[in-house]
Amino acid sequence: MTELPSSDAVRDDVIAIVAKQTKLDVATIHADSTLKDLGVASLDAIEVIFDIEEFFDVTFPDQGTNFDTDTVQHLVDAVMAAQQAKAAGADGAT
Amino acid sequence: MSESPSRSIAITGMGAISPFGEGAETLWQALRTGSTGIRPLRHERAAELRVRVAGQVPESFDPTAHFSERLLPMLDRTSQFALFAANEAITQSGLDFKTGSLAQRTGVVVGTGVGGETTQDEQSRRLYADNATRVHPLSIIRLMTNAPASQISIAHGLRGPSFAVASACASTHHSIAQAAMMIRTGLIDVAITGGSEACLTYGALRAWEAMRVLADDCCRPFSANRRGLVLAEGAGIFVLESMSHARQRGATILGELAGFGMTADAGDIVAPDSRGAAAAMVQAMIDAGLAPQDVDYINAHGTGTVANDATETAAIHAAFGTHATRLAISSTKSMHGHALGASGALELVAVLGAMRDSMVAPTANLDQADPACDLDYVPNTARAMSVRTALSNSFAFGGLNAVLAIRASA
Repeated sequence: MTELPSSDAVRDDVIAIVAKQTKLDVATIHADSTLKDLGVASLDAIEVIFDIEEFFDVTFPDQGTNFDTDTVQHLVDAVMAAQQAKAAGADGAT
Repeated sequence: MSESPSRSIAITGMGAISPFGEGAETLWQALRTGSTGIRPLRHERAAELRVRVAGQVPESFDPTAHFSERLLPMLDRTSQFALFAANEAITQSGLDFKTGSLAQRTGVVVGTGVGGETTQDEQSRRLYADNATRVHPLSIIRLMTNAPASQISIAHGLRGPSFAVASACASTHHSIAQAAMMIRTGLIDVAITGGSEACLTYGALRAWEAMRVLADDCCRPFSANRRGLVLAEGAGIFVLESMSHARQRGATILGELAGFGMTADAGDIVAPDSRGAAAAMVQAMIDAGLAPQDVDYINAHGTGTVANDATETAAIHAAFGTHATRLAISSTKSMHGHALGASGALELVAVLGAMRDSMVAPTANLDQADPACDLDYVPNTARAMSVRTALSNSFAFGGLNAVLAIRASA
């Protein structure tokens, strides 16, 4: 079983992806910033989600998440959860 | 309400193919009984896709039963649907294009959001997945966006202006408005018009998944628990003619296209703006010579997305003022799904059915009130009521709004 990256490492990567899309300095993006706070409109938000999914090779569920109002930390948690689900699936006794 | 004869347009035929199967009557009977055409996705890669449900034309539709062996290789699924619906509509109208000069005075305007997507997908797969170096020689004529309009023109020998109109999910209503304008100006007497869509390919489904606007179980317009739209396919085609032409030949008039309104939000390319939608509804009423209190029913755009349904509700309030709460409003997308460029056509069948039978089709799956959707959406059960005038709303990505005003035939 491969070691999953730490929450801090995931957060740094997520912030870098958000910074690229928003053209903001990484220092201005915090764990509690919402995409809306960062000026990311709905269409830009789904691009951020796409970039994160591509980077981490995970798929976020369609429902139960509002990417406009959720925070950067929520995105980090979603990546961690998706990675764990994927690792559990890969290690499953199927 | 006086109608100027030159502006007045009769609808004298309708045809459809939908998730309920073949025929406009099949579609209307399903809608008025609150049936659903939304089923588990039928696709060879369904197991991999996150799209779980769709409103697909049933497998019982057999193109070889409707089109000759010579014609079929030229028809993308979009054209098959359009041609099937056009044949039904023209038969119902009783028009004869073979004698006299009517064929020269008849146009064809058919809307589609994306055109020959099935052909595009199949041929791309040959090239990029199978590493083939040749594609089917009829690929271009199958996939061109005007193929549905041209196939109808050729099949019926119609020699007037024929072309496609593309405005995503408002394609049908923009097409019908174009056709109506040509009749009003006297350029043509008759138009075959509507919309067709068949784009549930692997590539298109993946693209819709990426937009994150799809519900995974059913479509719940105006309900607080709505989770998004459900994709569908199908076609609806109508015969329009100048009222004087229809009356002279003693045609059965299904309804009158009394007016239309078209606006663009000129803002966000996807997020709807209630001002643009309201302006289109107001324009349609002015064009039809209607006051807000004359309108009985609105067949809503009602996609079942969080943004559309609240915005459309706000737009109806803005356009109708105090009369908004007295309107019957329903989204039949709750049953047939969102057939994109053909959606307005399936919904116009629901409007004409409501007028004929004095019965408004319901909004299915509306089980949780949403404070942002505070109007009468005819929840879950059809309603017996007289419908003299109605609006049909279609809004589209691109910030486009097209609204038709329909009056019952006198």
